[in-house]
Amino acid sequence: MTTGEFTKNRVITWLIVLIVFVALLALASLLTSGDKIRGIAPLGVTAIGLIGVFVVYLVTARSAAWEVGTRQVVYMAIGAALYGVFNYIFNTIPMPSVSQVALRPSICIPIFFGYVFGPVVGFFTGAVGNILGDFLTGWGVYPAWDLGNGLIGMVPGLVMLFADKKRSLNFLTILVAVLIVVTAALVFLNPQVIGPWTGEIEDFSFWAWAFIIGGVVVIAGRFVLERINVDLAAVNLWGTLGIIIGIGFAAIADIWVNGYSFATAIIGEFAPAAGPNILNAMILTPILLAAYRAIQARTGR
Amino acid sequence: MLIAWRYRERDTIIQRLDPRARIIFMLAMLFSIIQFWDLRLMLLFLGVAVLQYALARLTWRETRRVWILISIIIVFMTILTFLTGRGGVDYAYHEEHLIHRLGPLSLPIVRWHISLDITAEKTIFALSQLARMYAITIMAITIPYTVNPSLYGVTFRGLGLPDKFAYAMDLAFRFVPTLGRDFTVTLDSQRARGYEVEKLSGGLVAQIRRLAPLLVPVTINAIVGAEDIVDAMDLRAFGVGPRTWVHRLTYRRADYLLIAASVLLFVASTALAFLGLGRLWVPAVLLRLAAG
Repeated sequence: MTTGEFTKNRVITWLIVLIVFVALLALASLLTSGDKIRGIAPLGVTAIGLIGVFVVYLVTARSAAWEVGTRQVVYMAIGAALYGVFNYIFNTIPMPSVSQVALRPSICIPIFFGYVFGPVVGFFTGAVGNILGDFLTGWGVYPAWDLGNGLIGMVPGLVMLFADKKRSLNFLTILVAVLIVVTAALVFLNPQVIGPWTGEIEDFSFWAWAFIIGGVVVIAGRFVLERINVDLAAVNLWGTLGIIIGIGFAAIADIWVNGYSFATAIIGEFAPAAGPNILNAMILTPILLAAYRAIQARTGR
Repeated sequence: MLIAWRYRERDTIIQRLDPRARIIFMLAMLFSIIQFWDLRLMLLFLGVAVLQYALARLTWRETRRVWILISIIIVFMTILTFLTGRGGVDYAYHEEHLIHRLGPLSLPIVRWHISLDITAEKTIFALSQLARMYAITIMAITIPYTVNPSLYGVTFRGLGLPDKFAYAMDLAFRFVPTLGRDFTVTLDSQRARGYEVEKLSGGLVAQIRRLAPLLVPVTINAIVGAEDIVDAMDLRAFGVGPRTWVHRLTYRRADYLLIAASVLLFVASTALAFLGLGRLWVPAVLLRLAAG
């Protein structure tokens, strides 16, 4: 079977899966007057998310970013082992001054491996590294957090789908701008809606302003950092995006898994995890990247 | 630094089971538990989790630290959810019956009024949440102590992960002790140069920056060494044909039974949840209390 045929077959398979899934949801909704469907909404959202990821993959399937050869296998293993070992060391070994401030310096590992070696290596580094770290500390296995950590490594790897770093930044800037404009417009047009997490009618106009300010900060940050170095801007922006998506995924999944309130997910998990992670990543990843570029220049690999 | 796995060889029923069957069971439990809010069902799940934990025969000494940390997190998160409103998503419960209202307390400057409603639903939700989180955690904790790290690659291969990824997993587990040693060597050599990890001074940013002399050499060394491993693997024609594994896993009768039970559990739970059973259960006592 040629690659083209193979891809076509896969597209058809997934389209059928999607259609059957939507049909089942519609049928269930019809039979139960839409009420009981809410119980399986998390599964539905997850399935749609997975299909979305797969569509992105299919569209970019020809890109070298997804290639998995011997090099990628070895880097996946090294990345995951490093992330696991650092997680273990910085979490359990008593280094008072370290554990107080730098909660997770190891976060730079999945971001760096994703950014330099591609999304597959990044995802593996984050997900398996987290499993390894939890194994060493004896915490157990938590699929939502493993996937979240995988996303932290995968998102920075998406930079490889672009011809160069500058184009990836342009894409990111436009994406952020469009999302902000659309969200803010929606919220301002209709600020009073039923809160998705509380079920009560709430005013969301505060969030529109928060989005606008956040977006402006991100876009401004891009241009400031880009004046120093394109690599620096790209690794920091994609890394931050990875942390927000990865930790956000895990925290929101915990609303369904552990039954947190939305506030608990944000105050108890998202903010304390994402904040220090972003700070650590923004400081340490560029240092690591600079050291790697120096080695690369010296060895010519 | 000697990095040791938590795994110990123990001749228990749990350890004699195939790791693939155990992971399937863990996932089936997880995806069944998260479909319910009924405290009685949660206690049932908790019972199953405790049973498998007891069968694994872990000692208090080896798990003490993890229990304490995890209990702090679970209790903290449950209290936070109780204080910040409706837990779960909005379909866990809709109406609430007030038992007692604390406050309102007014904050002097901002003039916010804070009050806390203790309702029948919130209270019982907090209890089921505790049982639910403990059930999930007890299932998850047993794995690192009872699954041999050298079986991970072949286990996930058996669960359908492609050869290359399963092998990468195997390789990652094998790199751990080497990287642990590299870390110690780096720490010692930096100390010999006057680097004091115990006394990181300066602001937050400066303190994080000072971790670079530890992180960077270990990482870059590993990456430089990787090229040799890549060459060695390529020379041995890695990835050309399907792999064979040193360890071979075989399902036995008990494993088939466990997998069948897992599938049954998940299907039954999904069917029950779909029929609307197993939602939050509020005991009549609490409702009477609310009615005064």
